[in-house]
Amino acid sequence: MLEIKNLHAKIKETQILKGLNLKVNAGEVHAIMGPNGSGKSTLSKIIAGHPEYEVTDGSIEYEVNFKKINLLELQPEERAREGVFLAFQYPVEIPGVPSSVFLRAAFNAICRHQGAEEMDPIDFDKYVRSKMKLLEMDDKFIDRPVNVDFSGGEKKRNEILQMAVLNPRLAILDETDSGLDIDSMKIVAEGVNKLKKKDNAVILITHYQRLLNYIQPDVVHVLYDGKIIKTEGKELALKVEDRGYDWLIK
Amino acid sequence: MSTEGMTMTVKSQSKNTLLENFKDESLRRIQLSPAWLAQARQNSWSRFAEIGMPTTRHEEWKYFNLSSLALKALRPCGESPIKDVKDVKEYLDDQDINIVFLNGVFSEEFSSISALPKGLIVTNLSKILEARADELRDMFKRSSVNDPEPFVSLNTALYRDGAYIRIEDKAVIKQVIHIIHVTTPDVKDVAVFPRTVLIAGGSAKASVLESFVGLSDEAYFVNAVTDIHVGENTTLNYYKSQADSMKAMHIGSVRVSQEANSQLEAFSLAVGSHMARNNISVSSDGEGTDSILDGLYVLRANQEVDNHTLIDHRQPNCTSHQLYKGILNDQSHAVFNGKIFVQPIAQKTNSYQLNKHLLLGKDCRVDTKPQLEIFADDVKCTHGATIGQLNEDEVFYFQTRCIGREDAVRMLSRGFVDDILDKLRDQNVRGKLSRLLLKKISILS
Repeated sequence: MLEIKNLHAKIKETQILKGLNLKVNAGEVHAIMGPNGSGKSTLSKIIAGHPEYEVTDGSIEYEVNFKKINLLELQPEERAREGVFLAFQYPVEIPGVPSSVFLRAAFNAICRHQGAEEMDPIDFDKYVRSKMKLLEMDDKFIDRPVNVDFSGGEKKRNEILQMAVLNPRLAILDETDSGLDIDSMKIVAEGVNKLKKKDNAVILITHYQRLLNYIQPDVVHVLYDGKIIKTEGKELALKVEDRGYDWLIK
Repeated sequence: MSTEGMTMTVKSQSKNTLLENFKDESLRRIQLSPAWLAQARQNSWSRFAEIGMPTTRHEEWKYFNLSSLALKALRPCGESPIKDVKDVKEYLDDQDINIVFLNGVFSEEFSSISALPKGLIVTNLSKILEARADELRDMFKRSSVNDPEPFVSLNTALYRDGAYIRIEDKAVIKQVIHIIHVTTPDVKDVAVFPRTVLIAGGSAKASVLESFVGLSDEAYFVNAVTDIHVGENTTLNYYKSQADSMKAMHIGSVRVSQEANSQLEAFSLAVGSHMARNNISVSSDGEGTDSILDGLYVLRANQEVDNHTLIDHRQPNCTSHQLYKGILNDQSHAVFNGKIFVQPIAQKTNSYQLNKHLLLGKDCRVDTKPQLEIFADDVKCTHGATIGQLNEDEVFYFQTRCIGREDAVRMLSRGFVDDILDKLRDQNVRGKLSRLLLKKISILS
């Protein structure tokens, strides 16, 4: 579904990714771990299309419905409409725009892209509320401006709600577990597990093994200094938890 | 600083073609007026001649450069036929009480004032100059003697006709009273002088919308004056919507006096004109008044809007609340000058002022200036101003949720203005102004 080859990228004059390779198949859950500053968040932002990063070499190929797409040629919103979803490490506050309006605009953009009919506000409201229930979110939440005055945990939960509503093919969760208490994390993990299907894939970017107790990864990667330096099964996460990264770096 | 500063005038040496071009028109207006009005017109014309055209050296006109107006060969607007009746009808709502002026002339055809609810008079000024002479003389007095505002004097001298609205004591008017000034010039560089007198008696309730619309892309000059009196215990909503042609210059003054325990909600929406100046002054002449002065402006290209507000707290226990918000794009320019005066007697005044902007373009400009002059010691007055720019992180967040940049800007702009629109007390007017505003927002990006 996603194949990244020899990806090099920089922000301003700082080279961050230095030849990254990653292959994710449909139906898989991948975890990317690594010390601070290794390039994890950069990778997620580049896949989503953040304009501040410049890709200097390499490619990102994305396959959807047997059609291969060069992701780097698409605008961020076009990538999103093709099913790429990024759950932000630091979700952005959108003053004045209620979550209900925001979500419906996002959902309908996908409908239009797929040539499907837009959902009317009443049906959409029902649909969103059913997802909110799964994530144990307060009813009032939907009328509040997106992320404004939300606690850290609420913002993360909102990211997962958006993911549940938009039903992406490829979801990248950038440190969604950081700042979550254990109960919230369980709920978030459940949300992610519900999304797992044979034609969807999930990339979890995380510092800690903790989240991986609740979401079982098929593959674990360690990213260091702009490259994937180790790829194994889920046991790698436990090793990292136990021994840190030093043994991998040396 | 003393309040004397307000009435100070600066003699100008700059050319003033208005004086030459409208001399005959001024004489004609005097001849056609009853004695009391002829006197007011004469005084106002002399006053305008004496003050002259303000220049940017004048503090009150620092950011509003009138030199283009001073040099223009303007002339009075003639009666020009409406090309398409639909153009006017678009602004008319059957549910409302409409009084329509075309190029400053009352239009019987488009107005719907034949069957009015009890306690309401809506007519054109020319019809009642004799019958209501005493009342009108009082209302006009404010603008004929030593008025600091040259464009009020100019309007008094030159206006052709105007709207007269009277809400009698205890009348509760449910329908919106909609005054519509349509400018559809026969040729370019004409001037129109809309005038409105709005009097609400005691314990009454009404909503008035005054719309300024242009039906052509020509350059023209609108110089409007609206005088409002709000009686005791009365609730009056006054909404002004300015959507003149993008080449027009609009200079409007709204002057309000409020009696004890009255409530005013004044709102000004400015989306039209190349250059627009909105003056609003409110005088709390009785105890316990409540005044809301809100405004919104949405500007693009090289539009300029200059809002000058003045609240003069002259009695104790009054509150005032001002919120002006603007969205600017391209090379547009907004000016806000908010004066709050609290006179020595006006203890327990509670006055608040806030001016907020969302800048979408890199070359737009805002000049904002609060001016508080407080002569009482037991009062609460606060003011603030903010300028926010379009945040690229916000735009990216929208994009990752499938929403492209243009829609993101639209949604953020709408989010920026929604709170002020939601506050408007009259639902019907809120709907009308929202639609007009959304149209403007949709072409911003």
